[in-house]
Amino acid sequence: MPKFILNDQEVEAQPGQTIIQAAQDHGVEIPHYCYHADLPIDGNCRMCLVEVEKMPKLTPACTTVVSEGMVVRSANERVKTAVRGVLEFLLINHPVDCPVCDQAGECRLQDYYMVYGLHTSEIPQSLKVRKSKAVDLGPVMLDQERCVECSRCIRFFENVTKTGELQFFGRGDHVRIGTIGNQPLDNPYSGNVAEICPVGALTDHDFRFKARVWFLHSTDSVCGGCSTGCNMRIDHRDGTVFRLQARRNVEVNRSWLCDEGRYSFHELEKGERLLYPLVKNGNGAPAQATWDAAARSVDVRLKEIGANAILGLASPSATNEALFLFKQYLGEQLGATLLDFRTDSEDRRVTEEEDDVLRHRDKHPNTMGALKLNLASAELGGIDGAIRAAREGRARAGVIIYFKPLVRREGDVDAEAKIAELVRSLEYSVVLASHHADWQQQASVVLPVAAWSEEDGSYTNYQGRVQLAAKATEPGGDILPLWEVFAMLLHVSGAESRWMTPDDVFATMAERVEAFQGIQLEQRRWPGALATA
Amino acid sequence: MGIQTLLEHINTPGYETLEGYRKYGGYTALEKALQMEPTALIDEVKASGLRGRGGAGFPTGMKWSFVPRNSGKPTYLLCNADESEPGTFKDRLLLERNPHALIEGMAIAAYALDCHLSYIYMRGEFGFLVEPINRALAEARAAGLLGPSVMGKDFALDIYLHLGQGAYICGEETSLIESLEGYRGYPRIKPPFPAVSGFLASPTVVNNVETLAALPWIINNGAAAYAAVGTEKSKGTKLFSASGHINKPGVYEVDLGYPLLDFINNECGGIPNGRKLKAVIPGGSSVPVLKAEECEGVLLDYESLAKAGTMLGSGGFIVFDDTVSMPEVLTVIADFYAHESCGQCTPCREGTGWAAKILHNLVGGKGRKSDLDLLLKIADNMEGKTICPLADADVMPIRSFVTKYRDEFEALCVS
Amino acid sequence: MIQFSEEAMREYQEILRHYPEKRAAVIPVLTLAQREFGWISQEVAEYVGNLMDYPASDMKSVSSFYVLLRQKPVGKYHLEICRNISCWLKGATACMAEAKRVLGVEAQEVTPDGLFSWDFTECLASCGTAVAMQVGDRYIENLTPEKMGEVIEQLRREAADQ
Repeated sequence: MPKFILNDQEVEAQPGQTIIQAAQDHGVEIPHYCYHADLPIDGNCRMCLVEVEKMPKLTPACTTVVSEGMVVRSANERVKTAVRGVLEFLLINHPVDCPVCDQAGECRLQDYYMVYGLHTSEIPQSLKVRKSKAVDLGPVMLDQERCVECSRCIRFFENVTKTGELQFFGRGDHVRIGTIGNQPLDNPYSGNVAEICPVGALTDHDFRFKARVWFLHSTDSVCGGCSTGCNMRIDHRDGTVFRLQARRNVEVNRSWLCDEGRYSFHELEKGERLLYPLVKNGNGAPAQATWDAAARSVDVRLKEIGANAILGLASPSATNEALFLFKQYLGEQLGATLLDFRTDSEDRRVTEEEDDVLRHRDKHPNTMGALKLNLASAELGGIDGAIRAAREGRARAGVIIYFKPLVRREGDVDAEAKIAELVRSLEYSVVLASHHADWQQQASVVLPVAAWSEEDGSYTNYQGRVQLAAKATEPGGDILPLWEVFAMLLHVSGAESRWMTPDDVFATMAERVEAFQGIQLEQRRWPGALATA
Repeated sequence: MGIQTLLEHINTPGYETLEGYRKYGGYTALEKALQMEPTALIDEVKASGLRGRGGAGFPTGMKWSFVPRNSGKPTYLLCNADESEPGTFKDRLLLERNPHALIEGMAIAAYALDCHLSYIYMRGEFGFLVEPINRALAEARAAGLLGPSVMGKDFALDIYLHLGQGAYICGEETSLIESLEGYRGYPRIKPPFPAVSGFLASPTVVNNVETLAALPWIINNGAAAYAAVGTEKSKGTKLFSASGHINKPGVYEVDLGYPLLDFINNECGGIPNGRKLKAVIPGGSSVPVLKAEECEGVLLDYESLAKAGTMLGSGGFIVFDDTVSMPEVLTVIADFYAHESCGQCTPCREGTGWAAKILHNLVGGKGRKSDLDLLLKIADNMEGKTICPLADADVMPIRSFVTKYRDEFEALCVS
Repeated sequence: MIQFSEEAMREYQEILRHYPEKRAAVIPVLTLAQREFGWISQEVAEYVGNLMDYPASDMKSVSSFYVLLRQKPVGKYHLEICRNISCWLKGATACMAEAKRVLGVEAQEVTPDGLFSWDFTECLASCGTAVAMQVGDRYIENLTPEKMGEVIEQLRREAADQ
C-alpha cells in the first residue's frame, strides 16, 4: 500500500488508486466535474489539478496514480489560482441564470464559485457563445448553455448502456452535447444523466421546477421496483416524495438507477389510500374499526376456522421483518401450513436479468427474503394453488397481503385479478393492503398498511443481500407498517410479542432463521449483508 | 545553401515517379537497410542526430527505441502528413515532388520497428495529392518495394493513405491516432505514450513526412555524414517554409545553424519594396515572435532559437515588414487557435475563444488597456493546464506579441 | 431512403480492407458518403451508422469534428479562402469580400443556382503562394481579388460544359 504525503499529512492509498480517489478516502475533496467514480477517466475539466513534487506542471488528480513517497498539494496558492482560472473559464460562456435553474443548490459551478471566491466573469453578455436553452429530450431537459462539456452523460451512454445517444457536436467553444436531431432519449436509464450532470445542463423532467433542493430532506433507502435492490436516496418534504436518486453501492447498482425505479414512487400516488381498518359487520357492510378490535376479531375468527383451513398469501414486496412475523403468526402461532407468497413465479424470475445493466425480471424487492424464510410452499403452490384450495374448500380462510407493484411489465401476470378471485372464493378473508381497490369489498377484513417509503425494514435482493429500506414519509390515517400488524396479531393471540421496532424483529430473525444468522443490524445499512444460501 | 538531402532533385521532371527516383539512387538505402539488423538501424538513426521535423524536435532514434520488442502486438508506423501549422508547407512539397523518398523512408523505419502495416495520415485538404501518392504507392507495390516480401526479403509491409478531414489538432500524434481509429480527434492523456499503446492500443510510432523522407539519405551516406552537417546538438538539415514579406517565398533546405538574417536576405531575397524587417515568426504560428532587433545573431537551429526565446517548431518561417499591425496579426493567430481547439479541456476550449474575442474587440477600437493584462492572465490560466499543447501554442504568440508590442496594442485602446 | 451506389459499395468494401478494425474505417466511409450524398445530414449519419453498426449520433458527432465533413449543404463549388497569417498579409480579406460581392451570398450560404458557396478556411499549407483558395480537390494559388472574379467565371463555364 503506497504511502504518500497529501497536504503535509502522510496517508496511505490503495494500490493503483489515483490521487483524487485516495484523497477522497482521506476526506480531502478535490474539485472536479468530469471525474466520476463509475465512469472511465476522461481528464477534460482540469478542475482537479494538483501540485506533485518533481512534476513541472500541475497534474490532474483524476489521472495520476499515487506512488510511494509522492508529495501532493491540493490546496496551495498555485493550485487555487489554477482552479480559479478553470472556473472562470467555465463561467464566461455560462448564462448565470441560477434563479431559474433547477440545479441551484446542488450545482458544482455554484459550489466552487463560493469556495474559490470568484467575482463576476469578465466577458460582456454580447460576446458569449450562444447555445440552446431547454431542449426537450423526453425524460431530461438539456440546457446546452449551462453545460461544462465534462462528458459524464456521454460516457454514461457510451460505457454503461453502450447505446451512445448523447454525443458532442462541433468543436472548440462551440462544442455542445445533444442527441442527433434533438431526438428524445429512448433509454430505460436516461434519468441517470440528469443525476450525474454536475451542473444544470441536464435536468430531470419529472423533478423540474417541483422544489428547490435545499428544502428537501433525504433518506437513504433501497428501491422497491425489482429484485436488484438498487441503493437510493428518497428526497422528500412534508410527507411527499419528490425524487429518488442513486446511492452508490459498487456491489449492487454502482451509481445508477433505472428510470422505472427512479420514478416508481409515482405509482404510490395513484389511487385512494386505505386509512382505517374495515371489518364487515353482521349484515355484511364494512365498518371502520379500531386496530385492537380488528385484530381481536381476526384472531378469534381464524382460530374458529382452524389451522388446517387457513391459507396465507404473503407478498414479495413485504419486508423481511413483516414476512417473518407473518410466518410467526400464521405458522407458529396458529399452526397453518398453507403459506406462500408467489403470484407470478417470482422464485424463478428473481435472478433473471432483464438487461446487462441493472434490471431483473422479478418486479418485487424481496422475493429472495421470502424464499429465505421458506415461504414458497409446494403444498399450496402459489396463488393458483391458493385459488384451487379455496374453491375446493380445503381452505376456508385466508390472510392475504397485496402491494401493487411499483414497476409493471407487459406480460406480467395480473396478480391483482387473481387476488380478487381468491378473496371471492374464500369464506373469510383478511386483506392487508396499502391502496383501495374495488375487489376489497369482498373481503371480510381490510387492514391499511404502510407502502414503500413509509416504513423501515429490510429487503433481500437477488444476490441474497440484506439491505435497509427506510421510512421517509409518514403515512396518514391509522395506517400501520405490516410488521406491526402481525406483531399486534401475535400479541392479541396470546403469543410472546416483545418487538418495538423492525430492528428488534430482525434481531430475532438473525437468531432463529438460519439464512440470516449472524447478520449484524448495522451491516444491513451499507453495503448490505449477504444472507447464506 | 548547404547540402540538399531532400530537395536536390525536387525540380527534376519525373522525379516523383519510381523510375525518376531510381535514376538518382532511389531505394538503394532500403536495400542497404534490409541487410542490417533492425537494432543497428535504430542506432544509426540515433547517431545521425535526426530530430522530429514536425515541430517537437524529439530525437527520432530515441523515439523508435521506446517501442517494446516482442510486445505480442503489431507495431504501427504512422506518417504524420497532416501539415497544418500556419506558415508551414514543406511536407506538401515533399509529398508532391518526392513521394518515393517518403515511401522509402517509411519502409526503412518500418523494418527497423518490425512494423508491417503503416498509414500516411494526410490532411484531407491535399485532395489533389491523393491520386499521385496512391500512384507512387502502387508503383512501389508493383516493384516489390512494398508488399508481402519487400525487395525479396522476409519482410512484409503495406502502406495505405488515410485522409484527415480538416482538423489542425490531428497533427498532434495522439489526436492523429484517435482520428485514425475513427473518432473525434481528441488528444489522449499520456502516459501511456504511443510507443507503448497507440493505434488500436498497440505500439505506435508517429513520424513527420520530413523526418521519414530524411532517412534514405542518412542510410545511404551514413549517420556521420548527416551528423557532420549542422551544429553540435542540431544536426543535419531542415526544411524552412518561408512566406510573408519576402521576395522569394518557398521551401528551403538549410543546414541547421544557418544565420537567420542571412536566410532572409539571401535565400528569401530580402524584404520587398524597400521596407524594413519588423518581425519574424521562425517556426510556425505557435512559436513566440521575434522582433527585428532580436534576430541579430540568431541561428536557425533548436538551441539558438530557444536561447532567443522562441522555437524552431515546424520551420514555418513568416516574415513581417514594418507596415504590419502586430495586434491584427495576433488576432488572426488567435482566431486560428479558437477555431482549431478540439474543445476537450476547459482552459483551451474557453480560453482560446475568449482571447480571440478580446482581440477582435481591441482591433475593432473597443479595447481597454486592462484587456492586455486580461489577455496575459488568460494565457497564464491556459498554459500547461491541458492534455495537449494546443493551448500552449496559443499562449506563446499571445504572450510574446502583447509583451513585445504592448505600445501598439495600447495605441488601439480607447481607455 | 438513400443508399450507396454499387460502385460506392465496392469502394466501401475496399476501405474496410485497409484497416485491422472496422472502426478505423469510419472517417473514410463518412468521406465516401459525403461524396455520394453531398453532406453529412442526419439521414446520411443514420445510413452510415446502420451500414457500419454504430449509433447514428456517433457518426454525426464524429463528422461534426471535421470541417471537411459538411454539416450543411454547400455549393457544387465551395470556395474556401485561407484567412491565416501569410494569406491575410497578402489580402485574403479582400479576396473574401470579392467572393461575397461576386456571388451575392454570405459565407456558408449557397447561391440560388446551387453552384457556389464560400467560406474562410485555415492554413492550407500554401503560404508561399498566398493567397490560397481550395475548391474541392483543387488549390487555386496566388489569388487576388481581381483573379477571384475570373476563377468564378471559369468554374461557371466548367459547370455549363458538364
